[in-house]
Amino acid sequence: MSDAAASTWADSWATSQQALMKLMFAAPAPGESGAKDTEAPMQEQFAELRDAWQESIAKWTELVKQGPQAVSMTPEALRELFTPERWSGVGTGSFDAGLRQVLEGPKYAMLFDLDRKLMALRQLASERDRDVAAFHAILRKAWGSAFERFSSNAASRVVQGPATWRGMADRWLAVLNDTLIEVQRSDAFIEAQRKMLRSASDCRLQEQEIAEAWCVAFHVPTRTEMDEVQRTVTELRRQLRALQRAAAPPPVATHATASSPTKRRATTKSRASARS
Amino acid sequence: MATPKKTAAAQALAEFSDFNLKMARGQQMLQRLKDEDVQIATADKEVVFRQDKVTLYRYKATAKPSLKVPVLVAYGQIGRYTMTDLQEDRSMLRNLLALGVDVYAVDWGNPTRSDRWLAFEDYVDGYLNECVEFICRQHRLSAINLLGICEGGVFSLCYAALYPDRIKNLILTITPVDFHQDQAEGRANHGLLNLWTRGLGADDIDRLIEANGNLPGELMSYVFAQMTPGASLSKYNIGLLDTFDDEKKLLNFLRMEKWIADRPHHPGEAAKQLLVNLYKNNELIRGEFQLAGRTVDLGDIKVPVLNVFAKDDHIIPPKTTQALRAAVGTKDYTEIGLDGGHVGVFVSGKSQGILGKGIHDWLRKRD
Repeated sequence: MSDAAASTWADSWATSQQALMKLMFAAPAPGESGAKDTEAPMQEQFAELRDAWQESIAKWTELVKQGPQAVSMTPEALRELFTPERWSGVGTGSFDAGLRQVLEGPKYAMLFDLDRKLMALRQLASERDRDVAAFHAILRKAWGSAFERFSSNAASRVVQGPATWRGMADRWLAVLNDTLIEVQRSDAFIEAQRKMLRSASDCRLQEQEIAEAWCVAFHVPTRTEMDEVQRTVTELRRQLRALQRAAAPPPVATHATASSPTKRRATTKSRASARS
Repeated sequence: MATPKKTAAAQALAEFSDFNLKMARGQQMLQRLKDEDVQIATADKEVVFRQDKVTLYRYKATAKPSLKVPVLVAYGQIGRYTMTDLQEDRSMLRNLLALGVDVYAVDWGNPTRSDRWLAFEDYVDGYLNECVEFICRQHRLSAINLLGICEGGVFSLCYAALYPDRIKNLILTITPVDFHQDQAEGRANHGLLNLWTRGLGADDIDRLIEANGNLPGELMSYVFAQMTPGASLSKYNIGLLDTFDDEKKLLNFLRMEKWIADRPHHPGEAAKQLLVNLYKNNELIRGEFQLAGRTVDLGDIKVPVLNVFAKDDHIIPPKTTQALRAAVGTKDYTEIGLDGGHVGVFVSGKSQGILGKGIHDWLRKRD
């Protein structure tokens, strides 16, 4: 709302208030000053009250004039606000804006939720990387130990004849293998491996949650929904086959004979195709 | 006359020269090889039954039948059945066929996230049972021979305990039974998988499965590689270099790598049962493991049992599988301990003449 518009509205409001006050507390005419003694104190009281009120009105009027931004509604704006057309149909007024906010609220909420999901994924990915690094740190340390063992063995070994590269490689691999297996049996390794596997799973599941949010927004079946469908199919198939087995006739013969392979194949083939 | 110093220098030069020659030879071999040279699981077979992603194969006979009852081979979900027929001269299945055994094998397929809810009961009561029923119908038999491998051995144990009438003889290979006996022999490189799994909380495993839907095959590959750090670190340098002497060795190496790389995801619910109920809580040997509300009691296994294990199996340490002897309800229990490691039982040159023949001879006495 412009300053001019605010000023117009303020003037109009102040004028109307002054008119009301004058009507209510009109000043006595000069000839009426010698009224009854009993009425004088009351008249004085009213006059004081009137003056105080007028003073207040003047201050408020001044305040309104000084702060055009504080009150932004013009009479025209108020009129428009209460126009019936503004309350019905689709438009761009403040009510529609509020309605749109209600209607679109979930989308905004979801967007915000997606941010949180992405943040959680970043955090989980970071934890996974940390766990992978911890796992590799244990292995690196094991490699270091293996090399120390290999070096000390090589130094103390009485070499019979020239050492070949293959002989050295075999010895190194044997030491490395034993050292790594020793470490892989340790509690520290087992816990590091467990953590790595767990954080990788958690990270993957968080990715799935984000993918599923997208699926929901775009009307695509989610992984969870597909898993549920597959579970139902598996269970139904299980029940159906159990019923088929229960309804099947008992085995017809119970003797052991070895017929010719060719003849047997022909029979099995036809039955197989019938069942497939 | 050469001084010792010169001898060492000459030695180093010769070694350097041999190294470069070997590299050049290896490069030539790798350039010659094509994808088709590295095929695995090529024994002649046909699809006889399918359900969902599960396929039942029947192998074409290569010899006159010597047993009346066929053998169904059930591998686990960690790895694939193709290991049983890695190549022509390293194949348990071909060895059995050559001895006149009628062989079936079940392939669980490649589970995806849609298979997340499949549990042990789906494999035991469902797919495995369907395969057994199918074979029984085809052969007009009431019971067949079941051969379980690794986790497939656990499936087979559960099946034999819950459906005793359908099994004539039970053969287990590298199968865990008592999951807490991993350090019974005190060998540091044994049972790391048991130790690490016990280090996880049940909620850690739940979150892992929730996040991935399944137990990722890549994760299991990483875990297995970590269990043999020296071999894993040197495989693609020193290990590969060692194969450059001989094309056959290189092909063996590449086929093995092909099998290792083909590691399926393990369905989520079944993985939870494997890791929590079995590895952590050891419910199978305690007689507490439940499938669809029924308790698997190994004492209900009254049929003859052959238990084959590897003496240096770092994944399924011998004592974890030998615990079966005291748990089953049969006195006809036999063990064969083979030299070598977990997979070596099936693919090593040494075991080729032993494993297939051992199984065949044992079955023949109980046919």
